[in-house]
Amino acid sequence: MDLYDSGDGLQAFPAESGRMRRGAAPAEVTSEPRGAARGQPPRDLEEEVDELVHLYGLEDDDELADDELGDEFVTENAPRIEVSEYAPHVGTRGEPATRQRDWRLGAEAAGEADGLGFGGWGSEGQCRDLREAYRFARGRSSEEYECYVIPEEEDEEEAPDVFCATCKTPLRAAEKELDEHRGHEVTPLSKALESAKDEIHRNMYRLEKQIIEMENFASHLEEVFITVEENFGRQEQNFESHYNEILETLAQKYEDKVQALGERKKEKLETLYAQLVSCGENLDACRELMETVEDICHEEKADFIKDAMAMADRLREFLETDTDVDVSAQPALEDQTLDFSDVEQLLGSINAVPAPSAPVINPQAPNSASGSSVRVCWSLCSDDTVESYQLSGRPARDGAPGKGQAEFTMTVKETYCSVRNLVPNTQYEFWVTARNGAGVSPASERVVYMTAPAPPVIKSSEVRSCEEAALIRWESGNLGPVDSYTVELTQTETPGASGVTESVVGIPTCESLVQLQPRRSYAIYVRALNVGGPSARSEPAAVHTTGSCFRLDAHTCHPWLTVSEDGLTLVRGDGRAPAREPPPSDARFTRCVAAMGNLVPVRGRHYWEVEVDERSDYTVGVAFDDVPKQEDLGANCRSWCMRHAWAPPRHKYEFLHNKMTPDIRITVSPRKIGVLLDYENSTLSFFNADTSQHLYTFSCQLQQFVHPCFSLEKPGRLKIHNGIAMPKYVSLY
Amino acid sequence: MSLIFPNRERMALKQISSNKCFGGFQKVFEHDSVELSCKMKFAVYLPPRADTGKCPALYWLSGLTCTEQNFISKSGFHQAASEHGLVVVAPDTSPRGCGIAGEEDSWDFGTGAGFYVDATEQPWKANYRMYSYVTRELPQLINANFPVDPQRMSVFGHSMGGHGALICALKNPGKYRSVSAFAPICNPVACPWGKKAFGGYLGADQSQWKAYDATHLVKSYPGTQLDILIDQGKDDQFLSDGQLLPDNFIAACTDKKIPVVFRLQEGYDHSYYFIATFITDHIRHHAKYLNA
Repeated sequence: MDLYDSGDGLQAFPAESGRMRRGAAPAEVTSEPRGAARGQPPRDLEEEVDELVHLYGLEDDDELADDELGDEFVTENAPRIEVSEYAPHVGTRGEPATRQRDWRLGAEAAGEADGLGFGGWGSEGQCRDLREAYRFARGRSSEEYECYVIPEEEDEEEAPDVFCATCKTPLRAAEKELDEHRGHEVTPLSKALESAKDEIHRNMYRLEKQIIEMENFASHLEEVFITVEENFGRQEQNFESHYNEILETLAQKYEDKVQALGERKKEKLETLYAQLVSCGENLDACRELMETVEDICHEEKADFIKDAMAMADRLREFLETDTDVDVSAQPALEDQTLDFSDVEQLLGSINAVPAPSAPVINPQAPNSASGSSVRVCWSLCSDDTVESYQLSGRPARDGAPGKGQAEFTMTVKETYCSVRNLVPNTQYEFWVTARNGAGVSPASERVVYMTAPAPPVIKSSEVRSCEEAALIRWESGNLGPVDSYTVELTQTETPGASGVTESVVGIPTCESLVQLQPRRSYAIYVRALNVGGPSARSEPAAVHTTGSCFRLDAHTCHPWLTVSEDGLTLVRGDGRAPAREPPPSDARFTRCVAAMGNLVPVRGRHYWEVEVDERSDYTVGVAFDDVPKQEDLGANCRSWCMRHAWAPPRHKYEFLHNKMTPDIRITVSPRKIGVLLDYENSTLSFFNADTSQHLYTFSCQLQQFVHPCFSLEKPGRLKIHNGIAMPKYVSLY
Repeated sequence: MSLIFPNRERMALKQISSNKCFGGFQKVFEHDSVELSCKMKFAVYLPPRADTGKCPALYWLSGLTCTEQNFISKSGFHQAASEHGLVVVAPDTSPRGCGIAGEEDSWDFGTGAGFYVDATEQPWKANYRMYSYVTRELPQLINANFPVDPQRMSVFGHSMGGHGALICALKNPGKYRSVSAFAPICNPVACPWGKKAFGGYLGADQSQWKAYDATHLVKSYPGTQLDILIDQGKDDQFLSDGQLLPDNFIAACTDKKIPVVFRLQEGYDHSYYFIATFITDHIRHHAKYLNA
């Protein structure tokens, strides 16, 4: 088919007047190029478009002049052509194979170059290529690769056994004394092989990393490719519909114009014809007058005078009538101005956009909020063009209108907004509208976001620890409930510490037993979590996992005892009773003047020391929580203890459990008693901490956790020493 | 039988027996003692750790009538010694076969009853020098022939050996890292056994006896750190007979602030059954100081 057939025809038709011809022309515009595209290269299409452009006077439109878009605008079924054109890039699944093949070929080429350069090494170069090819084909299995690493380079006579590092050459041992290697660094071949292998492994590792990176990059490119393809496809459709509209408008306009032109022509011709007819009639009248006048001239004088007088009147009358000789219709065309304003408007509307539709507000992303801010995100409909968004929000509090219900709004360009200065652990509802030049969208749905909680407050006076763990308790710090807590711990004072933070997550209650390493220092923080995210860190609690740390529990204290501020000193004064009796409770010792400590509930080893006055009567030991509070320590099965009684000059030591004691005499009164509680071996041992003398070891059945207990049978004091590293010798007991 | 030849011919050791026990070996050797001028046997337990390095040595001194055999066959100390890596040396309790008149006449004097003193009286003073033997000659022999660390030694014993252990430690401050005793004769100058033995070996001058009496030695002990563990059976016949007199020793130690833990064990007597019951505690007591 000759493209210019249609072109010729079209070029002709503005001058023609046949209605049929005009009606056929648009059909050709759409159908002929399509047929052409199937059989002919796209270049022809472009030319054709140019033709059309010329024809319609649209060549000043940039976008249409663009080759690619021009193609696709005209060829309605173009996507099919496009697929074939882009096949090598789009068919990404098949691509790696192609790529591998290319690389392999490249490597072979390199191998050949090697072969040229080093002659005898050619085989190794090829071998390397095979290896590379193998690697790509088999997913870079380094073990398999290994098979190829051993160089096949065989020496005819004798295998080299050393390696000259300076020349990078394998040698036979005998050769190393030769001049050329004298003073060179020579290592055994096996060692050199090892280091070479290491080097290769390192390189392989690097290459593998690079390949992974490249693969990631390639897949990213693929995604970008697809996105670009989609976006352009959408734009193409958009253009197509718009330009079709323009074409239709133009065709309509043409038809209207041509029709108007025809009517005007007919009117003019009719006018001229009428003038011509009247002109002829005039001419006839003149001729008749002429003849009549000639006849008169041949008549008798009397007749002549009489007729001449009559004729002269008639002539005068005739000549007096105006003869119209002006051309009533001008042959020239009037100035035919073409009005393209509506087309221009249409063309303009290709880029103009409608007002956006309502954005879709996203549910709150986890961990996106802080205590005072939330990050609200939304998305727009893909077709919309938006200049800005207006985000509105207010506290979502049920049934409490008025106070704190103030709405707030902010305008942003992005599809997200961080809203600040909010109240922690509080729900807010948000909605968003989109705006562009054409107007404002309806509001989105309302979505509830929640600010993260306020940081909890660690009860530092209740922190207890041992060598393996610490028990941390805290106040929520928030009025409303939170979802959970996270405990974070960082080692401090560790030289060269990387500052690694470990976390314990999902703690439902306000306490946590954290596993720790022995003899370290930690800073422990707590965060509260809700759907919005984690709070800021609490103030840190310092924990040293040296020995065990506990405090006396004032709730267990016999009324006659007082506990110092730091919870480590127990005093029984001389006075009888305190001014005020504390409220009685199950936890409080009533008869035995005792108090308990709160040891961390960990079934490991616990060591503490108690400083005592050697002339006071005291008891030191452990007891279950539910030890009978009206009984003496050691007078039942729920407690084990060492009791000292001083009856000058004798010191009496008893190791009491269930009212029984072994008969043990101790010649030097301990001033500091070391207590070792060992859950693993079910033992409780006592030592003179100053002399490291072992005093006694109980074998106890510790089904539950026990706590340190102390009593003062006479006025006096004892002081607990915590955080003491377990002496080495106690590990024997 | 194998012979070990150290530097000096007179230190030649003759191995009498060797039995594998808890990964180590319980051996018995015989040698010619210079101090005692007779052939002496001693037992030595080498723990597995002795294969690879020097171990501390713990000397056991047996009681009246015993030889080196009683302790190694009855006390059951091997497992604890193996675990703590202690070389345990158990000498005989007196010279034997010296041909001294009256040597064999009684069980509490002469053969089997050397009392760990250096005799000053005829006819005993030539041979009955057990104190010098256990504190000097035997340690030198052990240090020269076995993988032991000469700086780390301790001593313990039973009854007469308990007395021996206490005086060895109290007369040589710093030489022994620790000391312990089962039912020791704490105050021999005041008990029938001690009076008979000291009278025989040291003569009538009782002031000389005090040099071998733990209770008296405590009073002049210079106060070097020494942790003393004593176990005593409450049903020990010799306790009620007044042979052991631990209260005197405890009182002296309390007075001098020498740390003693004295455990009066309900129901136990003077036998090796009693020793076997608490031997692990004592081995641990020594290990605490020897392996510190």
